[in-house]
Amino acid sequence: MDLRKAWKLLHGRRAVSVVVSNVILTGAVIAVSFVVLAWTQYRSSAYNAQYSEAMNADIAKLKERLAFEYVFYSGGNLTVYLMNCGTINDTIVKTVYVSTSTGELINVTSNITLMHFNGTQIADQDLDRGEEGYFVLSSLDLVTDTSYSIQVVTGRGSTFDHTFVA
Amino acid sequence: MTIRLSLRKRFRKLTANSKGFSSVIGTTFMVLVVMFLSTSVFLWTLSQNTMYNEALRAKNQEEADRRNENVVALSGNYSVNEVTDEVTVNVVLKNAGSVAVQIINLWVLDTDPSNRRYANKSLNLNLNPGNVTNLVEPSPLTVTIPGANANHTFASWFVTARGNTIPLEKEQGVIVARLAQGIGSMALDFYTFRYFKYKVGSGNILENYPNGTISFDIPKNTEVAYGVVLTNLDPKKETIAIDSHSLLWVIIPTSDVAHNRWWYIVNVASDGTISPTYSTISMVYGETKLLVFASENDLASSSFARQSTPNSVCTVPVFLLLHGTIGSTPYGQNLPFVSLYYS
Repeated sequence: MDLRKAWKLLHGRRAVSVVVSNVILTGAVIAVSFVVLAWTQYRSSAYNAQYSEAMNADIAKLKERLAFEYVFYSGGNLTVYLMNCGTINDTIVKTVYVSTSTGELINVTSNITLMHFNGTQIADQDLDRGEEGYFVLSSLDLVTDTSYSIQVVTGRGSTFDHTFVA
Repeated sequence: MTIRLSLRKRFRKLTANSKGFSSVIGTTFMVLVVMFLSTSVFLWTLSQNTMYNEALRAKNQEEADRRNENVVALSGNYSVNEVTDEVTVNVVLKNAGSVAVQIINLWVLDTDPSNRRYANKSLNLNLNPGNVTNLVEPSPLTVTIPGANANHTFASWFVTARGNTIPLEKEQGVIVARLAQGIGSMALDFYTFRYFKYKVGSGNILENYPNGTISFDIPKNTEVAYGVVLTNLDPKKETIAIDSHSLLWVIIPTSDVAHNRWWYIVNVASDGTISPTYSTISMVYGETKLLVFASENDLASSSFARQSTPNSVCTVPVFLLLHGTIGSTPYGQNLPFVSLYYS
């Protein structure tokens, strides 16, 4: 008796198609929904990562500060003494611009070697918090007793300006 | 019947109808997904903005602290030891600002065109608001500048941990020199007047030399020596030689006739031992030295003898009588600015 009922249910076509179609459709909708959820989560994670990276870079940039302790020019060499007085480590001096007081650019140097005040080279070539160091720009032709500007650009993109008399 | 029945009928029909069920699920799901994602992204963005605002606030606070730093370098002068090329900077630092300041570096520049050199010295001085630090003898700041000369002009500045610079202006020296022209070529550092007791049972050796006791209150009826820090600020930049006739003279006020005590100048070794003879002390322009007055007798004509403070409690004026030569001409100066209380 039961077998007959089961046989009838399996082979009967009335009303079954509606149930099956609803189940399939619902299943498909749920499956697609999960796919959409996963995709949106992936996209939002990517956005988060990008936003976070930009935000952290901005914060790091905000924390950077270099102080010019002394700028000394003699015999074509410009020696620039710096101190990292910001609140972040690993400040790299990437590019240095020297210009006249009227803004005319006279030198751009990107290959900077940082030294300790005792004359030894700084191993990691960056300035940590409170660390002092200097670099030398050579072969500069500056006029003595004339005012110049120097701009230091860090690896994070911060710029620090200073005016000195050669 | 009617409207109510009709509405009930329609609702029953709607709930019994399975058409569009998946759409309802899908829509619900989507709405939940959108709400979940937008909420989480919003909250996360909020936390990121909070971080940024916090960093900005910290930056502004640092900037405010940096601007509030106000340390002044007073009474600055330079002295040069041409043998060792050492330039000594005597200065009084006063924190007149509202924040504590850490001084990490001193820079000294020889501005003479013939010897444009510089040197720096690492420091670790902490000044709380209102603090005054005397960086004079016996703890002055010394840097080495090859080729430095007492006739050169120097510029120097301090650097704080926040990146500010505190200049020790050249004009300061000019003012002192002008003042010196009015009162004499030798300037007394009033704040570092000191006295020494003798070590017990060990000959004529000063106790705690060269620091002594910086005070204007001296024990009565006690054998003491006095230490004064003098700087040659002669406007003509001549070298001053102090001979054995120089002395520290104390007038003891009494009800009747004033009495006197005096302490002649002596030479003292680095361990505090007083030399029985005296050799002239020379001071080049800008040089600062600690001179000790200890002997009851002029060592040019008599032997050394200790001198005691008065027996009674009293306040006395002190006159520093300097004698010798300035350059190649005779020199004599009376510095009257100290008073002492014996008790």
